Amino acid sequence: MKGSRVAKRYARALLGLSEDRTQLETWGAELERLARIGDAPEIALRLASPEVSHEARVAAMAKIAERLDLSYPLRSLAVVVARHGRIANLTAISESYQDQLDVLLGRARATLTFAREPNAQDTAAVVRGLEAMVRKTVIATVKVDQALLGGVVAELEGKIYDGSLATRLSEAERRLVG
Amino acid sequence: MIVGKRGAVILTCAVLLLPAAGWCAEAAGGEAAGSGSWLSLLFYVFNFAVFVWILVHYAGPPARKFFADRASGIKETFARAEATYKEAQDLANRAAERMSRLEAEKQQIRADLDAETAHMANRIREMARETALRIVRDTELTGAAITEAAQRHVRAMLAEATGRLARELMINSFNDDDQARLLRSFEERLAQEAPR
Repeated sequence: MKGSRVAKRYARALLGLSEDRTQLETWGAELERLARIGDAPEIALRLASPEVSHEARVAAMAKIAERLDLSYPLRSLAVVVARHGRIANLTAISESYQDQLDVLLGRARATLTFAREPNAQDTAAVVRGLEAMVRKTVIATVKVDQALLGGVVAELEGKIYDGSLATRLSEAERRLVG
Repeated sequence: MIVGKRGAVILTCAVLLLPAAGWCAEAAGGEAAGSGSWLSLLFYVFNFAVFVWILVHYAGPPARKFFADRASGIKETFARAEATYKEAQDLANRAAERMSRLEAEKQQIRADLDAETAHMANRIREMARETALRIVRDTELTGAAITEAAQRHVRAMLAEATGRLARELMINSFNDDDQARLLRSFEERLAQEAPR
């Protein structure tokens, strides 16, 4: 859904409303909050129920946006999305928005999986390495997976950079088998 | 036919009755002595002539036809017999000729059979040789494959055991310094891949 044309269109429309980077970042965070609420099972089920009328659904989304204290463009977006029956696409719209915003701001998102809980210096060092490689600002999401035994695995722009001990061990086993 | 059916009946009756009349005349004439014998002879001659005429006229054609048919049948039978005889003679001649050639044919057949047998024996020998070579080749290949598979299996088992041991060792003895060293190595790798 992340790359669906509908989500891209809505995200592009929101991005086109401002050129202020800070504001765009704020909207991204607000959109993420809205999508999280809209994606919550109890709310999603209630909003998708055929018992709820279209008007009630639009009103509910407007109320949610107001309660979340979203900025005016995000409240408008919530109402437009509800009016066009695209509430289920909110998460995809949020993800697409983040992707497009990253491209706009020259950023890349990476997932770093460490074998042990890393300290800030280790994370920063790996992020610097990745930034030097892609020549973009890298926003990292850190995970821990003990199955890696040691080292780190970085996933960035669809590529995997594997520096884990488990992989090295597997390669050594494959070489032994011949 | 000159005489009709009725005429023929009348004529037949006359012939049958005339001798009776003649015999009566002779009996009467016997009394007249001498003058009746000429008449009697004439009567006999005439009677005989009529008998001959009837015989020739009525019995002649069927008899002639019968004999003509019989003659033609005999001729045909004879001709057939002659043809059959000639044919039998030809067959006998041919049989004699073949009998005379039989020995030569026998020799020829024996020579042909010997040649064919030798050819087949050579072929079978050649096929057996090729089959033996193929079996040897297949056996060698199979042996090599089995050896390779066994070696591979042993290597896989060794690798698995080694990997298991190595994992256990790493889990037990891996420390923060090792992790830091691995991270440095990873950063160096990233630096190498980074565009200059």
